[in-house]
Amino acid sequence: MLSPLPDSRWTYEAAAHLLNRAGFGGAPHEIDRLYKMGARAAVASLVDYDQIPETVEAPDWAKPDPELAERIRSYRSLPEEEKRKKQAEERREEARRLISLRGWWLERMATTARPLQEKMTLFWHGHFATSVQKVRVAYLMYQQNETFRKYALGSWRRMLVAVSQDPAMLIWLDNAKSTRKQPNENYAREVMELFTLGEGHYTEDDVRAAARAFTGWTLGPDRQTFVERRGQHDDGDKTFLGASGPLTGEDIINRIVRQPQAAIYISQRLWNFFGSPEENPRVIASMAKVLTDNNMEFKALMRTLFLSEEFYTPQVMRQQVKSPVQWLIGTTKMLEMKLPEAPVTTGVLNRLGQNLFAPPNVKGWDGGISWISTNYLLNRYNMAGAIVEGNEQDLLPGGGKGLNKTVGPVKKMLKRFGIEAGNVFKPAEVDGLFTRKELATRESLFVALQKRFLQGELRPERARALREFMNGMNELGPTEVRDSIRLLMSTPDYQVA
Amino acid sequence: MNTFTTRRAFLRSTLLGGALSWTVPNFIANTFSVMHAHAADKATQVATGKDSQILVVMQLAGGNDGVNTVIPFASDEYYKARPKLAVPKSDVLQINDQLGLNPALSALKEMYDGGEVALINGVGYPNPNRSHFRSTEIWHTASDADKVEKYGWIGRYFDNCCTGADPEVGINIGGQMPQAMSAKVPRGVSLDNPGSYRFIAGGETEEAMQEEKTYRRMNRQARMEMGQADEELATSGGSISMLSGPTKSAGSPLDFIERTAMDAQVSSDKIRALLARQPKGGTGTEASYPGTQIANNLRLISKLIAGGMTTRVYYLSMGGFDTHANQAQSHPRLLKEFSEAVKAFYADLKTQGNADRVTVLTFSEFGRRVAENGSQGTDHGAAAPMFLFGPRVKAGLYGAYPSLAPKDLDKGDVKYNVDFRAVYASVLASVLKVPGKTVLGRDFELLPVMKA
Repeated sequence: MLSPLPDSRWTYEAAAHLLNRAGFGGAPHEIDRLYKMGARAAVASLVDYDQIPETVEAPDWAKPDPELAERIRSYRSLPEEEKRKKQAEERREEARRLISLRGWWLERMATTARPLQEKMTLFWHGHFATSVQKVRVAYLMYQQNETFRKYALGSWRRMLVAVSQDPAMLIWLDNAKSTRKQPNENYAREVMELFTLGEGHYTEDDVRAAARAFTGWTLGPDRQTFVERRGQHDDGDKTFLGASGPLTGEDIINRIVRQPQAAIYISQRLWNFFGSPEENPRVIASMAKVLTDNNMEFKALMRTLFLSEEFYTPQVMRQQVKSPVQWLIGTTKMLEMKLPEAPVTTGVLNRLGQNLFAPPNVKGWDGGISWISTNYLLNRYNMAGAIVEGNEQDLLPGGGKGLNKTVGPVKKMLKRFGIEAGNVFKPAEVDGLFTRKELATRESLFVALQKRFLQGELRPERARALREFMNGMNELGPTEVRDSIRLLMSTPDYQVA
Repeated sequence: MNTFTTRRAFLRSTLLGGALSWTVPNFIANTFSVMHAHAADKATQVATGKDSQILVVMQLAGGNDGVNTVIPFASDEYYKARPKLAVPKSDVLQINDQLGLNPALSALKEMYDGGEVALINGVGYPNPNRSHFRSTEIWHTASDADKVEKYGWIGRYFDNCCTGADPEVGINIGGQMPQAMSAKVPRGVSLDNPGSYRFIAGGETEEAMQEEKTYRRMNRQARMEMGQADEELATSGGSISMLSGPTKSAGSPLDFIERTAMDAQVSSDKIRALLARQPKGGTGTEASYPGTQIANNLRLISKLIAGGMTTRVYYLSMGGFDTHANQAQSHPRLLKEFSEAVKAFYADLKTQGNADRVTVLTFSEFGRRVAENGSQGTDHGAAAPMFLFGPRVKAGLYGAYPSLAPKDLDKGDVKYNVDFRAVYASVLASVLKVPGKTVLGRDFELLPVMKA
């Protein structure tokens, strides 16, 4: 069993940790607010987000385009040159939408009153790891994103049914192509191997049976909506994980979710994402029990986890490498600044190794220390320089060299969004960040910097170096404050939370 | 502007503490030389020195269609299986009366005729996996198909043979480290753009220099400050593992990042110093490269070699080979990009006088289905050819070309004749001077693909 967190352990640092993990971090006043609520109310304010009103409009282009498939088909009969032109136009528009979608989601993460909902959505995106590189249509990625959001803390069964019928997923893992005569095993395999049970908890026969059961769940002629085609469904008898009968896709999911391993597997994934990458069988087993005791619904599990002593141990706190998304959103929140424009954030995240809607493969991002290579680390330090000091030298390579296909040339994209390169980063406004008392001495500023940006302490050698740097400053004007912040961000310590 | 105490005080501090700014900190340089001396005791070659052999590993990512790369133009089965995608016999660049190269590989054919290409047919492994990520993992870790290995084959080479080497003993051109380089003791660096592979402070002002100096102090590995490194060496009986030992990578994320930060700083200094010494725009030669990404990356490697990096293994990847549809358009373009880049690379290396030191190995996670699919493409397959390039390879054909007859196929894919680890072992022995068993865990029969 998970032990409840004693009141005495609910500290400012604990509240900061909660906001980092259940959201994307925050400024000291936000952390203070949580801290003063007490643990139970603080956790409730994150978990019970359905009570917080939120209206976010979809991106203006994000609506069904039932003619898209037909339109693309029609280009084929055009003369070669015109065909190419039309296809290029469609591609350009899709590229613009993808960047707009990324910006839309990041903005939502940065400003939402329901941070846990967005954090869970990010978790599900990594878990179901669908890439626009195969799906091709930004609108479908948007739809999937909304599905993750809708079921973010709901029941595992309902999430799995929704994902199995999600158009982007039907394309991504080929179930749209699966027919009674030729069942495609891709989705059937991955739903067990990667999404619910893990290797070794099913047989090849189970994969074949599930593939047959999922036949008929496919896309309509518009390639944008789910349809169930009775005629394509194999309604013959199957045996799956010990159950027999004319099983359907829903039967398969029900059967999976009832396996004791299902609770263990998803608990493991959640613990790795929210808690720690370290193996911890006792915690996992306790989490799995909470899940099964609560009808496989995630809300109760996350509440229990965030109120557990296990979540606040030294092995967990400040032991997580920030993902690039966490790094970016957290940085702007701690600086209390607006997120840069979508093509800029897309470029930043590309340089840090996390292209949203384009995870590297069906396993998603490896996370943890794989976020850190010499290249990524220097990029983090220099992106901090860009965001804090407005220094953008060498940061926006033109021509798309070295950029991922789903990112494209940043400069071109900036133009399309009406932004002049060379004007992308401005020095951050730091005037309101510190009180006059905090700005009184170098030491008081140093303490305030650590509190705001680390919610912890630099390792001693680094603290000494930064103090000496600050002592060398003639005054504590905005430039000096910015330089100090940028340096604090250019440390190993800033990369963990 | 002048926010720092006085110019004199600033200069003093720069000249004392800051003297380290543009070079590798002394204590670190010392430590490395001690470590090299230690490593020299080992039976294997020390991973340093400007005249060592260099291995360049190139992944053709996505699964290169081996059948349309090395084409069995004398086989009826080939033309039967590929009604739309087969290359007509008259277009094939024939290398004997059975096999030839895709016409897009004319650059490679030239190198082949010049005696600098070993072409190994039918390379794969038992129980082939057709998933990109799993099969990539198998090639990267050199594991059996039913076993999951944590570390990469190049990483295990680092662990076994490069104790104490500088971090840039392995350089990956890209962002994330490939699994092939993951090691018990993390080693190797990643870079894609040498221009931004450094800490960028705002300009040349004194503030910027102070900022950089502080960055440097804050990104030295904590445990190595104040001469601790040497103490540790002494107290641990000269064991290198104390410095960067397994506990480091198994330790906290912060420890890992500290180590990476240190590697970034040291390697960034070296790489920039080295590139700065070179004439603008090239390696001092007038070598011309095509304007492709893969050619740019090879040019960067060539510059690093020309500058005398002690790197033993470079890794790079070229994507796009997952040709499920309309392959006739994309595949020849990819082959052309790949082969012209390699040709330009060797032309450059020859002018430098470094060609003899460099061997390129190419692989792909799998080949493709023999029969084309309904969308003028091919699906994931199994065995495929591998290439070795360079003056030190014994040019020619190796391995039997797998039969394309339906009865000889495994689920529609050709069967392998050569285990890819035999190729690794041959290259490990000849280029990196280490017995394959040390890295691969067991012996594989060596192929006579390299000159003695």
